[in-house]
Amino acid sequence: MAIRMSVGGASEDPVQIGRIRNAFARIKSLGDERGFDWFAAVHGLALPSWCEHGSPLFLPWHRAYLYYFELSLQSRLGPRFTQIEPQVPEFADVGLPWWDWTSDESHREGIPGAYMLEEVDGEPNPLAATTIGSALDDRRIFTGIWSASLVDAVRQQIPGAISDDGPPRTRRDADAPDELPRRATVDDIVLRQTTYQFFTMSLEQVHNDVHGWVGGSMSVVPTSAFDPIFWSHHAMIDRIWYLWQISELGMDPPTDLMNTVLAPFPMTAAQTLDIDRLGYDYAVQMIA
Amino acid sequence: MAASKSEKGTSGKASRNAIEHRDLKFDAGTGQETMFKRADLIFEGVDHAHGSYEVRVFLNNKKADETTARSAETGYAGRFVVFGHGHCFGEEGHCDASIAAIPSPTTAPGGGRQHPMTPGRHVLTITEQLDRILNAPGKRLETLTLVPVSKAPRREERGGLTDLFKFGGVSLRTYR
Repeated sequence: MAIRMSVGGASEDPVQIGRIRNAFARIKSLGDERGFDWFAAVHGLALPSWCEHGSPLFLPWHRAYLYYFELSLQSRLGPRFTQIEPQVPEFADVGLPWWDWTSDESHREGIPGAYMLEEVDGEPNPLAATTIGSALDDRRIFTGIWSASLVDAVRQQIPGAISDDGPPRTRRDADAPDELPRRATVDDIVLRQTTYQFFTMSLEQVHNDVHGWVGGSMSVVPTSAFDPIFWSHHAMIDRIWYLWQISELGMDPPTDLMNTVLAPFPMTAAQTLDIDRLGYDYAVQMIA
Repeated sequence: MAASKSEKGTSGKASRNAIEHRDLKFDAGTGQETMFKRADLIFEGVDHAHGSYEVRVFLNNKKADETTARSAETGYAGRFVVFGHGHCFGEEGHCDASIAAIPSPTTAPGGGRQHPMTPGRHVLTITEQLDRILNAPGKRLETLTLVPVSKAPRREERGGLTDLFKFGGVSLRTYR
């Protein structure tokens, strides 16, 4: 069972946050379909873009997305979404941390410190930014993503979404911390919705707000998942869905969507509904 | 009905013409129409194919623009953010949502999906703000003023008016 803790809680334990950093560093070094670049590209570029937005599948699709990404962090993911024995035992139970952008700390500091430090112990911090694999460098990339011409097109068409020159690198340009969504918005509006349709629209709206707030790569669909903070932002979204599911107001997506396959992942919407069966849980902190 | 009053430029920057005013009269009167527990503005057909932007909604304030304070005094009712795709990176026709998808024998279980660029729906709950209007002298909602503001990747390019906002229509729903 992977416990997804708040970024704040995980950061209080140097071992926990160090393990998360190392798991990210490992999958960033993988040039195949288990690697960070491949997962990030699934959400946007290079084409095809598979993500679901503005649809009732927004929440199920992103839950499946995080599920397989987390399996990769745990070194449990084989080709074609097979699950394998953990290749690195240390990472076997790594959980994606969730960024509570409604917290007092976030409204004071903005993006959590664990995602802001450029270096940790003299090494680049894999949570701070991503240099996107491309033909511009000599990394061993086997998935054919981000050709040089695509890098040029992104720079021309979405200025500021990636670095202006050199190897394409994610960037952020955040608004003032107090502009982040407030706890009252989540507690009094989102979590009080009484239908799935209005709940998912309401939560997606808050989700959009945070993407725009971070700015840079996060501000548009095609590049957003390359920023490591994307994954903690979406863990927060998934957590809010879970909180609504277990509340007295929670209800399932429309029945006609339950058997929809959440491509490219071999999982249906119905299979995303029970996080216990998916092998993770949410906690603020964990003391062993 | 097309909502934007100006052509979309590559920069998304716009003049005051990008601000949309909609008559959406709602009279408090003495009838039962004021007895609502919740009021939502439903925006249909909202375009998200280009850059990201937010739409600030003001009630009964035709002078509102991107510099107007977001407060009860100015009639500010809230905002919604559109998470844009930035640009079509496919070949011609790739992002044309008007080409309808048709069912096929190879459609995955659960049916075909909608085109990813299909304009979307956004909901803004304005219960308190509408209630405040209807409890003020005049007791009538006259207009919505929709101020589209850029959420460009670069902060220095954010906050100005944008002409990226295109939508099909807006309605007010109240619930008891």
